[in-house]
Amino acid sequence: MIRVLLRSQWLLIATILLYGLAFLVNPEQASQALTSAATTFSSVLPLIIAVFCLVGLLHVWISRDRIVRLLGHEGGLKSLVIAALCGTLLMGPAYIIFPLLMEIQKRGARWAVVTIVLTSYAVKLQMIPIEAGFLGWPFTLGRALITIALAIPTGLLVEAMMERQQKL
Amino acid sequence: MFLVGVIYIVIIIICYAFLWPIDRDKALQSLRLSWQSLLKLLPLLIAIFGLVGLFQEFIPPELVARLLGKSSGLFSLLISTFAGAISIGPPLAAYPLAETLLKAGAWPPAIAAFIFSWISIGVITLPFEAATFGARFALLRNGISFIAAMLCGLILGFLL
Repeated sequence: MIRVLLRSQWLLIATILLYGLAFLVNPEQASQALTSAATTFSSVLPLIIAVFCLVGLLHVWISRDRIVRLLGHEGGLKSLVIAALCGTLLMGPAYIIFPLLMEIQKRGARWAVVTIVLTSYAVKLQMIPIEAGFLGWPFTLGRALITIALAIPTGLLVEAMMERQQKL
Repeated sequence: MFLVGVIYIVIIIICYAFLWPIDRDKALQSLRLSWQSLLKLLPLLIAIFGLVGLFQEFIPPELVARLLGKSSGLFSLLISTFAGAISIGPPLAAYPLAETLLKAGAWPPAIAAFIFSWISIGVITLPFEAATFGARFALLRNGISFIAAMLCGLILGFLL
């Protein structure tokens, strides 16, 4: 029982232990950390719920064929462009959409799509004016364009390496 | 962020309002599936948010800035990509930090690489990424993104 719990929830247990340690070392900072974690978590909680709702909807209502056609190898260049667009538009921390990406991957989307969404996350279309306010337009636009241009080869490279393993 | 999430939920509820009359069993099935996957991954997500909080408090951006300020050239590119990879937080927090660093004379390519890796590489979230996608994908993606972040900086330096 304890073994199973350790294996499945090792990260949660490690986090709790780390907090224990932090409270011993510096209670003030530790409680700050806990507060900031709780604040962030509660502000993204609706997004998390939405992501899991989408996982369920996708699984039941969208056929495997459609995903393969749109986001699989059959999708060709189109699948990569959709991925780059989604990555630049989606809001919230990248890690909360991991489950959604895994769901579409299991149902036929290519690994390149998953990687491109996560790489192009480094560009936030909605944030570009804000970024430019801090860092200037040449820097911001240059960085955005290069990031999107690099996202696609990154995705294809990760995919090639993932698929090589499957063949072995 | 909260509001965006609420809007998404409202849209999803509207979707269900349409799907319910079409096939009630399938609608129920997708709700059940959502609930099950949420329950399965929630402890992991809570752990990740907890870790992020700890990290932000004990390794504040100022420390990262000091790390970056001392280096220059290609070495600073490597250091800043690494600093971005271990840091975590909203992009909104990265911009002012990047501005301060640029004004302090940091190398622009290093700063571009820093922003890139800040957002798309996550050392702290690696356990969660490995749990969802498998360790091989998580390591490959983060590793190759690390190189891409440095490339992004170099190309930008070349263009500016």
